[in-house]
Amino acid sequence: MSRPARLRLAFCGLHPLRTSRLIAEYGTAEGVLDAIARRRIEVPEAARQAAARKPGRCRQILDRLGVMPVWRGDPGYPEHLDGVPDAPDVLFVRGSLPLVPGVAIVGTRRCTRYGLGLAHAYGRACAEAGWPVVSGLARGIDGEAHRGIVSGGGIGVAVLGSGPDVVYPAQNRDLFSDLIAGGGAAVTEYPPGTPPEGWRFPPRNRIISGLAAAVVVVEAAEVGGALITAGLALEQGRPVFAVPGDVERETSRGCNLLVRDGAVPVLDPDDLIEALSLVASLELPRPSRVPGAQNRHPLLEHLGPSGASLEELAGVLGVAVPEVLAQVGRLELAGLLRRRGGLVLPL
Amino acid sequence: MFAAVTSIALVGVEPRPVRVEVHVGGGKQAFHLVGLPDTAVREAKERVRSAVISSGYRFPSRRLTVNLAPAEIPKAGSAYDLPIALGVLAACGAVPPGVTEVVALGELALDGTLRQARGGLGAGIVAAQVGLPCLLPHASAAEAALVGGADVRAVRSLPHAVATSLGEDPGDMPPVPAAESTVPAVDLGQVRGQAVARRALEVAAAGGHHLLFVGPPGAGKTMLARCLAGILPLLTRQDALEVAQAWAAAGRPRPSPSVPPFRSPHHSATPAAIVGGGSGVPIPGELTLAHHGVLFLDELGEFPPHLLNALRQPIEEGRVHIARKGVSVTFPCSTQVTAASNPCPCGYAGDRLIVCRCSPRAIDRYRQRLSGPLLDRFDMQVAVPRLDADELAGAGGERSDRVRLRVMAARRLQNERGSLNRTLGRERLDQMEWGEGAHALLRSAVDRLGLSGRGWDRVRRVACTIADLDGSRQITADHMAEALTFRAGT
Repeated sequence: MSRPARLRLAFCGLHPLRTSRLIAEYGTAEGVLDAIARRRIEVPEAARQAAARKPGRCRQILDRLGVMPVWRGDPGYPEHLDGVPDAPDVLFVRGSLPLVPGVAIVGTRRCTRYGLGLAHAYGRACAEAGWPVVSGLARGIDGEAHRGIVSGGGIGVAVLGSGPDVVYPAQNRDLFSDLIAGGGAAVTEYPPGTPPEGWRFPPRNRIISGLAAAVVVVEAAEVGGALITAGLALEQGRPVFAVPGDVERETSRGCNLLVRDGAVPVLDPDDLIEALSLVASLELPRPSRVPGAQNRHPLLEHLGPSGASLEELAGVLGVAVPEVLAQVGRLELAGLLRRRGGLVLPL
Repeated sequence: MFAAVTSIALVGVEPRPVRVEVHVGGGKQAFHLVGLPDTAVREAKERVRSAVISSGYRFPSRRLTVNLAPAEIPKAGSAYDLPIALGVLAACGAVPPGVTEVVALGELALDGTLRQARGGLGAGIVAAQVGLPCLLPHASAAEAALVGGADVRAVRSLPHAVATSLGEDPGDMPPVPAAESTVPAVDLGQVRGQAVARRALEVAAAGGHHLLFVGPPGAGKTMLARCLAGILPLLTRQDALEVAQAWAAAGRPRPSPSVPPFRSPHHSATPAAIVGGGSGVPIPGELTLAHHGVLFLDELGEFPPHLLNALRQPIEEGRVHIARKGVSVTFPCSTQVTAASNPCPCGYAGDRLIVCRCSPRAIDRYRQRLSGPLLDRFDMQVAVPRLDADELAGAGGERSDRVRLRVMAARRLQNERGSLNRTLGRERLDQMEWGEGAHALLRSAVDRLGLSGRGWDRVRRVACTIADLDGSRQITADHMAEALTFRAGT
């Protein structure tokens, strides 16, 4: 199979499973393209035009967008993804794709604040432990996990369900550039200009799990992309972690089912990092920004992981409310705690 | 065959003298009323004729012209019945001309008795200015008696008014308002727990700051807000008069004039009811009724955005202009806005035990509804958590009257400076004595927390108040740090 033909076939933007079936049927990419040209295969008009494109044209489009094609079998292609059945023949990459496996943090778009907070904390913890984080750049859990890794100064990989030049959802445009600026990447198997059609997302989930050493489902309903990713991860032999939640909450039902069916339950971020170290003993590049040991303020000692209310702090510290408020104000400004509603939370 | 009696008209809340001129002349029997009267004033013709006849006088069967001067001020309401009747009687010679030497106001019943009318307070103010006795129905006389230097006489009927104005009858003493109750409806002593919200209330009361409570349903936001009125200092005589004037313009008597008003309009109220307006002569809205007091907006998120938009500028300026064809009035509304809001549609975002079931997008939408129009106008925001069982069973806190003493001490310092901290301008703020590190903290808040330019001054004002409560001339970094924890938009 020649590279120009493989590239042209990738530019057709067909369903990934269909592409692999066609290659199996016709033997080579050239064979498939030829069959498309002879109209022996029914494809959308856009795909037919892409198949008939001049070989150099596809490279031109990629060069103009600053997108690197990464070929299966090349040294730049992540080994752990190569081992996955139906791995994409070519990946379109913006930024730099890490060669070590990452941690996939996924979840529902219709999440709760609870889930968002966890996604952020896990993303950040992975960043600090040196794990790259793979996710889908979607609204909700995925995006927040990416934000967590950006804030922790780590490497994040966004696997898109659209072309490499299409940011979906548009509200995550800044996050997209932050990921690439932070040394991470956006990858997709779909050619430039591909819109985010619903059917393109389930197959892209095999790339998310394929790029990861383990999959963490933060919050998910019974039906949805996150559980598809978890299922694919199990097929690919990746361990699945799930964050348990309220048994009655719809957005935790998926996670709870995973736990029931044998997924590893994870609790706080430290727990996750410890569990991950058992999964793979990798030489992970540490990010340069590791928070130094601070002189702990007495107030911080009293903050459990779920925080404390201002009233409780006044009680345990034995000082008047105005003084607690002043201390909290200073510590918040120093970036040593955060506040949410009436609660004071550790970072 | 001419007589003129003084009465009043309200322009905004400001009373202006109005001369009720009556001319009785030849020609066919007729009754003309001119000088921008509204429908209720025009109907005075029928009431005056019947009342005059019922009182035993003869109604002149000649051409009768009544002019309400100056003609450019719109006149509204039924309060001109009494001056018109006195003028008619004097003009046709039925009574001596001395009856016109009064400021009179009141609605006449068809049998000649007097009924309450709007504007009694204004009549008292005008009477004090022009130095004439003031004849008012009993119910209106009480509010006029608030005005120092006014000779207010309560009268029962048209004949009684004639006798009183001629000095034949002293008139009744204006009824003395019932002893003022300064005990607030809700006392802070009944509030359990909520130490931070209590502190925020005290600071807000001391500096007159706009305060937003955010918390789940049932946490006690409304109760806390209602406590605010009880810890504000009593109104000064001048302020009390301004408030009474505003209320009188809305046709409402003030039961306890020196207690700061507390208004709590429902979110279904119309813009006119809240900002002021209405058909014909504009009437003050809730915003003006809360002048020198508290305007409480419960369930802030339920108020329609256009209404919150309409509140912005008046809150900032302390007065509201209402322009109409022909008339433009200004109502005072130097009011402290207090509001309560849920953190999200279900109300439980940030709660530790009850899980919020709103999607983050729904929460963002909910906050956007508020933030655009009004959220950044609040000087302070404080979270009101739900109480746990221990706190619910615990003892109440400090009583309102104790807190009020500290508030009053802080207000004294502000009076020396000449203005309430809420209204301190940027220049005045710059001149305050800032302690070491105070501004450095504020600058790091801009960098780290994204504090806006408007927020910058708001935090400084609150810091001034915290220092005042501390009895400190210098505003230290600690005062600033505390003020920052109360910043809005968290």
